[in-house]
Amino acid sequence: MHSKRLGWLLLAPTMIILFFFGVVPFFYVIWVSFHQWNPFAANPGKIFNWAANYRQVVFDAQLLASLGVTFAFVFFAVVSELVLGYLLAQAFMKDFPGKAFFRTIHTLPLIMAPIIVGSIWKLMTTPSIGIIPNLLQSWFGYNLNIGQSALAAFTVTVVMDVWHWTPLVTLSLIAALVSLPPDPFEQAQIDGAGKRQIFWHITLPMIAPAVVATVFIRLMDALRTVDEVLMLTGGGPGSATRYIGVHIFKEVFPRTNYGYGSAISVVVLYLTIVICWLLYVGLIAPRNTKKG
Amino acid sequence: MANVKIDNVIKRYGAVQVMHGVDVDIEHGEFVVLVGPSGCGKSTLLRMLAGLEEISGGTISIGDKVVNGVSPKDRDIAMVFQSYALYPHKTVGENMGFPLKMAKRPKAEIDEKVGRAAEILDLAHLLDRFPKQLSGGQRQRVAMGRAIVRDPQVFLFDEPLSNLDAKLRVTMRVEIKELHQRLQTTIVYVTHDQIEAMTMADKIVVMRDGRVEQIGAPLDLYDNPGNVFVAGFIGSPSMNFVHGTIVSEGGVKGFRSDDGLMLPLPETTATEGQAVTYGIRPEHIGVGEGGIPVNVVVVEPTGSETQIFARAGKDLIDAIVKDRIAARPGAEIGFVIDPANVHLFDRATEKRI
Repeated sequence: MHSKRLGWLLLAPTMIILFFFGVVPFFYVIWVSFHQWNPFAANPGKIFNWAANYRQVVFDAQLLASLGVTFAFVFFAVVSELVLGYLLAQAFMKDFPGKAFFRTIHTLPLIMAPIIVGSIWKLMTTPSIGIIPNLLQSWFGYNLNIGQSALAAFTVTVVMDVWHWTPLVTLSLIAALVSLPPDPFEQAQIDGAGKRQIFWHITLPMIAPAVVATVFIRLMDALRTVDEVLMLTGGGPGSATRYIGVHIFKEVFPRTNYGYGSAISVVVLYLTIVICWLLYVGLIAPRNTKKG
Repeated sequence: MANVKIDNVIKRYGAVQVMHGVDVDIEHGEFVVLVGPSGCGKSTLLRMLAGLEEISGGTISIGDKVVNGVSPKDRDIAMVFQSYALYPHKTVGENMGFPLKMAKRPKAEIDEKVGRAAEILDLAHLLDRFPKQLSGGQRQRVAMGRAIVRDPQVFLFDEPLSNLDAKLRVTMRVEIKELHQRLQTTIVYVTHDQIEAMTMADKIVVMRDGRVEQIGAPLDLYDNPGNVFVAGFIGSPSMNFVHGTIVSEGGVKGFRSDDGLMLPLPETTATEGQAVTYGIRPEHIGVGEGGIPVNVVVVEPTGSETQIFARAGKDLIDAIVKDRIAARPGAEIGFVIDPANVHLFDRATEKRI
């Protein structure tokens, strides 16, 4: 009994902080989402308006477009990060001169604040002064202008996200690969499996839990990307890179439409949960039930 | 099924040479055990046979085909690892069928062969289980099942029983031997346990420090160990060794230990004054009147036999007798040695005389 009480006591500070900074704001957002609340409107108070905000969400063409580009962005970014991260992880599993050095600098993007990443990429991609448009121009004669081309802007945001977050994938996959026992791989060679078969039949299933966990983390992060993209493109040109996070930001801050912004946030949270649940059901659950 | 020829095989890791020209000939269908203390190179040799380790010199042939540069998957071998190396995400059936699946065999054939192997190994009711749901002995059998479904030319076993408890080890030893008699496939088996080697092998290869010390049938090695190392390694408890010299009294050769103890000697070519190591197995020492006087140190009765540690001068001698001896520590008894059972080794070369 005593040790149990001590346990709760030791947990208490964390739980209190989590309660005030996690649970309370969460329910507050839900509560606000049922109100019309614009502090700079003629009536600045909260006016309860039932599910009107949610009704508006469903018919918001801008929101649907935003969700569309968000999913495209998340798909291309996370898949590229996964493939690139795995290849890098495999490369770092081998010994080569300067390995520790390369591994260190390759993780540097991770420790950078997204707003800084956005600024760097903005500087690098601004036509006339940025290094990337300059090089593309002189090497391939390609004129990169993310202020004009929707496709270019979209691609650059994906590349920026890949640049920023691939190291996270690499690190977690290195951890997964390092922890694998060597014997099944030698056994597979003896059993007649080639490199590709070993990857599909042995490596991938054995690191699958780490891969899925990494995908979850990246998925949730990518779905709520705001600052990098806001800094780089401001959601433009037009609404080509107005990802859902950017969309919410623009509803809530410049337009101070708190009630509606909250409602979109809740919907996006719900969508994120659904996507993760689908992934879980599709990838993890079959393995578990089979084992039962 | 095939014969295996290991010819002057050398292994270097950088500048360090760990395998110094090993030669072993393995006949078709033979059960060969590589045995030796840790670090003797037996596992490395097995891994070189499997193709998991490169060879720095010499040749390895399986079925008259040199396989030096051949990758493991093309050697037509099956291997059972000490850790069993089961695929944790695959069921028992999938584990056993994996080599056939890799060989792109039709599903019906895979099911049939897996079913037959499962029958032989008593695994039929476990085919849908995952490795983590099995006991050590069952995992061991799955690993063997995965090896036999392939019907390979050679089976390689790398200390397959070391992770099992003593009782299960005895059972599995019998099962593996039975399996060999049934399949008649060439087996190369690595162990550090000389009892496993003695009980299972047609031929034992005793290794030390990357060299072959002696090759022979189990009882040959027991009866005629080629040197002090093999004599001490084969047989449990191990042979007693006493250092001394050959003396001659009235034309009759005898052995006198460094301590002055006189021990009976068989007919020998050893010359007078030669420094030798005198070896006698504990089970070849009897207790009785008129023997060599020794002082009992410890008596260990195990029921079926009694092990006596006794001191003759400075040398501690170990004897095993079938009788129940009621000697107390400190008591003086007589050890009787039949000269026919004595092994003599040159002290400098450690070779048998």
